[in-house]
Formats: sequence, C-alpha cells, structure tokens
Amino acid sequence: MSKPPLIGDLFPLDRALRGIRERFADVVIDADRTSLRERTVVVPAERLAEVAGALTQDWGASLLTLFGLDERGSAGRFRIHVMFSMAPEDAFITLVAAVPETAPAYKAVTTTVHAAHWLEREMQDLLGVTPVGHPDPAPLVAHDGWPRGMHPQRRDFAVPDGISWPPRFSFHRVEGEGVFEIPVGPIHAGIIEPGHFRFSTVGEAVIKLDVKLGWKYRGLEELGEGQHWTRGLEIAERICGTCAFSHALAYCQAAEELAGATVPPRARALRSMAAELERVYNHVTDMAGILNDTAWVVGAAEMMRVKEIVQQLIDGLFGHRFLRGVCVPGGVQRDLDDTQELWLRRVLGDVRAAVEQTRHAMLNNAAVMDRLVGTGVLPLEVVRDLGVTGVAARASGSTRDGRKDHAYAFYRDLDFGVVTRNGGDVLARYELRADEIHESLNLIDQMIQRLPGGPIAQHLGQLPNDKWGFGLVESPRGLLSHWLRADERGDISDWRVRSASHAAWPAVALAVPGNIVPDFPLINKSFNLCYACTDK
Amino acid sequence: MWEMIQRSLQRGVLAGREATPVPAGITPAPRAESGEIEVMGDALRVEVQRLFRGSLKLRHLDAGSCNGCESELQALLNPFYDLQRFGIDIVASPRHADGLLVTGPVTRHLEEAVLRTDAATPRPRLVIAVGDCACDGGFCRDSFAVHKGASALLDVAVRVPGCPPRPAEILRALLMAIGHESVRVAAGVSAPGMPTP
Ligand code: SF4
Repeated sequence: MSKPPLIGDLFPLDRALRGIRERFADVVIDADRTSLRERTVVVPAERLAEVAGALTQDWGASLLTLFGLDERGSAGRFRIHVMFSMAPEDAFITLVAAVPETAPAYKAVTTTVHAAHWLEREMQDLLGVTPVGHPDPAPLVAHDGWPRGMHPQRRDFAVPDGISWPPRFSFHRVEGEGVFEIPVGPIHAGIIEPGHFRFSTVGEAVIKLDVKLGWKYRGLEELGEGQHWTRGLEIAERICGTCAFSHALAYCQAAEELAGATVPPRARALRSMAAELERVYNHVTDMAGILNDTAWVVGAAEMMRVKEIVQQLIDGLFGHRFLRGVCVPGGVQRDLDDTQELWLRRVLGDVRAAVEQTRHAMLNNAAVMDRLVGTGVLPLEVVRDLGVTGVAARASGSTRDGRKDHAYAFYRDLDFGVVTRNGGDVLARYELRADEIHESLNLIDQMIQRLPGGPIAQHLGQLPNDKWGFGLVESPRGLLSHWLRADERGDISDWRVRSASHAAWPAVALAVPGNIVPDFPLINKSFNLCYACTDK
Repeated sequence: MWEMIQRSLQRGVLAGREATPVPAGITPAPRAESGEIEVMGDALRVEVQRLFRGSLKLRHLDAGSCNGCESELQALLNPFYDLQRFGIDIVASPRHADGLLVTGPVTRHLEEAVLRTDAATPRPRLVIAVGDCACDGGFCRDSFAVHKGASALLDVAVRVPGCPPRPAEILRALLMAIGHESVRVAAGVSAPGMPTP
C-alpha cells in the first residue's frame, strides 16, 4: 500500500487538523476519538457550516455522511455528526455538534457544502432538527401529509393519529409559454421500483426534473434500534436486494470496529471475492438495462444471460443468489474448496469474453451508439459538488473508489487500478462498467491465487456502549456506509445508513435537463440508482 | 452483431437449460430446493391455454420491496426461464392485466398507489403476493411504516414465500395460482373452459 501523498510537508489529515486549529479557536480536536483512523472535532453548532465549508474547499475533505442522534434523555441535546473522507489518506474527520433540545436548529451545512442537501432534509424529517437557511427545505422522506412533530428517530416517538399517509408534494414550478408538466410515477410501467418524476418540458426538451422519493420508506434504521446485532444483520441485508452483500459487509465492519474484533485473513479475502461477484452481476444487469432501453434486444438478452450465469454460480458457491447469509460480524459463513475455485475461474472466463463481445458489437452498432453518445452528461464539477461516488462519478473522471481510498476486507493486499472515463454520458457509464468487470475478474483471479488459509470467522463479543463503529464499502453503486452505536445491554442504540444512491439521486436531476423526454429512461438506467436503499 | 447472432445460433435454445450446471466432483453450497422448471412450465402452458386462451397477462406492482423480488421477476424473462413461452407475460398497464404480482410489505406511503393500481385492473383479477414481505410483511412487518403484506389491502389469491423466492418457485406458484379452485373463482374461471365474462 502506497503512502498518501504529502501536501507541503503534511499528510491530508494533519494539514486539515492544523488548519482547523489555526483558523477556529473555539473547536476541540479529538474530544472523543473513536478509532485510529477517525478524528473527531467538536464544533459549536452555529459554526458547523463554516468549518465544514473550510474542510471541503481548503483542505480537500469530501463529505461522506451527515446525521443526527437523539441524546435528549442523557444530555438534553441532539447531536449532529458530519463525516468527511480525507482520501487519498485512509482517514476520516468527524465534526460533532450539540444542538439544544429546547431550540433544535442550527445553520445548515448545505449552505457551504452542497453534498449535504438531501442528508439535512432527511434529518429534518426524521429527527426534527432544523437546518436553518437550507436552500430547499422541503420534506424528503416525510411529506406534507405527516403531522408536525412526527419524527420517527426521536426516542419518544409514537405513531400519532391523523396521519395522511399518501404523499402530498409541492413541486418546483417552471412557468412560461409552452411549458408543460409531465408527472410520471410512482408506479411505473415495468418491473421497476416506485418513485415520482415531474418533468417540466418545452416540446420534447426537459428543462427541469423534480425527483420525489420516499415511497418505499420502511423505517428500517428505526426498526433495528433496540435490537440485538443479529437482527440488525437481517435488516441490513434487506435494505437493498441487489447490494445485499455490500450492506451486510458495511454493517459487519461497523460492528467489528465497535467490538474491536479482527477478521481472519481468509474471511477478508472471501469477503472481497463475494463483493466483486456482486459488482459483476450488478454491472451486467445495468448494462442489460441500458441496452434494453435503446431497444437493442439482442445485446440486452445476452447480458441477462450472463447475469443468470453469474447468479447461478454465486448460488452454487455461496448458497444464495443474492449473497445473503454469507457475511457475519467477525467473518463469513461460507468457505470455498479448491475444486470450487477452479469452477469459479472457468465460468468467469466465459463471462469476460461475453462482456467484451457484446461491447464490441455495441460500439459497431450505429443505432445504439446514437442513443448513448452525449446523452445525460454529468459534469465532473457536479460530481464533486454533490459528493457523487461510484460508477456515476468515475464515468465523469472522478478517481474516488472506497476500495483504494479506505481499503477494507482484502483490498490492501491486491493489485488493481481505479478505472475512470471522462465522457460523463450514458456511453461512459456503460463502458466504465465493462472496464470494471474486467478489473473485478482480475481481482477474483488474484484472490484465488493468494487465498490465505486459516479460520473464516472470529467470535464477536458484546458490543461496548462507550464508542461507535463505522463501516464503509464501495458497493456496485458507490460508497455505502453504516454507523452503529450500542446501548449498555450491547444492543443497537443508534444506526445510520447512507447508500451511494442517496448521494447520486440529486445528480440525476441535473443530468437530465437539456435532453429529450424519451431519453430519460435511458439516462436513469445508466445510473441505475436504488430506490429502496435511498428510502430505507 | 452478426457474430453475436451466430454464437447464439450455435448455442441453441437456452430456455429450460441450467445457466451454470454444477460440474461433477464439485459440491455446491447447501441451498434451498427449487422445482423442475420444464415440468412445471409444461403444466403451466396447458393451464394457460385452457383457462386463458393461451395468454395470461400480469402486471408487476412494487409495494415497497428491497428490489430482490424484482430482480427475480426480471430473471423470469431472461433466456433461460423465458416466461413468455408458457403464454405468460408482464404488461406495462394494469388495464391490460389479468392479475397483479405484488412485491414488498406495502409501505404506508404506497397504499394509495397500490389501491389505485388495483382499481385500474379489470375484474376479475388474480392477486399474487411474491416474497415474504408481500406475504406477511416479512422481516419488516413490525415497522410502523408498513402494512403486514399485500393482504392488508388486497384480496390475495396466492402467496409465494421466499426471500426472494427463486424464479422456479415463482413459476410453481403461478401454476398453483391458476390451478387452484379458489383462485379460479377469484379469477372468474370457476368452470373449466373459458373465463366467465
Ligand atoms: S421478500 Fe426478501 S427479497 Fe423480497 S422484497 Fe422482501 S426482503 Fe426483499
């Protein structure tokens, strides 16, 4: 593993901490440090936006997540955490602020860090802490039918009477001659998840897209609180079906950090292997979706064929088509033997060839290319500004990749590069997926060659209640994190999840305007964001 | 493009074949049993022919699933399962559907959308709950934000348990759905032969 680059004579983390110390006299660094790679900075709530802005603009930090906790019972306050990645150094900075119970409001971080946009709206809905000065404070998960004061993440929450459950939204209106509004969803024509899209159009051109999600809100974080970690794992694996393993892995990493457990090397390698298999079948599905939406059925059917091959392989090796039940805190529950490894390699060889042949045929198909090139361009500035990660970011030239920036599982021991593309259009997102599949297959090859021996799981003791745990995973759709804290019984007391889709949805709304309405499904498919993991 | 078509001609028909057969000498991981696709499919084709004049159209309705069940419904349309060859297809509008495939526990936020989709489906119609969540709320049944499955709002004729159920299990459930007497009554096909108008 290479050392992170020095900036001047300092590493990124030290430079940022020194900057904070020099510029902000009233902050306390490392008030409650939780792990070696995470440093906490306690900031007065009214200065949160200012410090967060300096961190991202001057010291190279990028926002990972922002959430609030109800500590009214123990300390008479709400507590806000704003977490940043200090990549390329494997380090995090967490800004912690206290908001008094009596006046639950503070100056919105979104005013300086736009990536906090949806996070703060969600916190306002679920916890009832107001980010003052937020540029778009409309409800995100809740909606106009929820009664005032209904905040499910508050500890004293009870379902009130008189809720009007069906969502009622207000939209951003575009006015002028010839402007039409097209409402689409929540129920869509096909096997697709529910979400509402409101297009403002002139002729065929979209001039504004308003995305309204939250239809699938199942209250999963709230459901897990007060439960044993085994129940939490069951829920974590079901936040999202197709990223089930990534969610399980991030959750397990958080629990392991909390319990101070070290995962045996063989388990770490098997985790990386499963994670790459998950990436492969997801990428193949997304490529099938893109081709299907250009009406190139031959290519789409071919990619669906490959997806089934990979899923049946996964089923044969790990016992579940979506890799549920494989990852557990402390290790994994399935081992591979030599003959299974050979089988894996042979099948994946065919997968590699099929992906390449389809790409080749696609690049030579003018009708398909005409739909893909220059469609739904997402500029790199938007990626940076909104904190987009994953395929959507790397297809626009970003080099962020959690497997490199904050290596987990077995990635520190593997040779691989971060694949990027610069186009930012649907074609770039298609090709990036094809490139990443090759990289994933190379990684799996390396792991088979270097699979360490030894046990595959370690016992996880009781979760202590004096710190917190954080797990970060590069899921097929981008960075995904789980944050956990336990109570005195060792059960989950607070649980906060952020998926890659949550960060990327606002970017879709910006990639669509300027394109024509019939290209929306294609653009949407090229991101293929998850509704279930955004709504939770 | 030509090479792709050539290769698929060489491969032959995939429908009904296993995508990744376990080779001799390799022990697969323990996993849930799934039935024989072809045997069920043949029976299904006969029933669809007899009761629905060879064409059963279903509409998918996501009522808050994790998207795992969706993924398996999509898999049913891939070249290996190729649901259409049994006379069954997934249609885009409830107006064109003989029945609904419901996934997810029915979140409170979606209840109106679910009811309106159901209302838009011509009677008689079959409601099939796909996956543990749609059957009884599954893992999240205790959450305040969801109902305990599709039957909270709709007349569910058949339940397909599993998290998610494998494609073959969904096929089997479809067969049961149209073969079962109570389902025939719900679908208005109580007498063998033509559906009652
Ligand atoms: S039954 Fe399982 S796979 Fe299906 S929606 Fe529920 S959690 Fe997801």
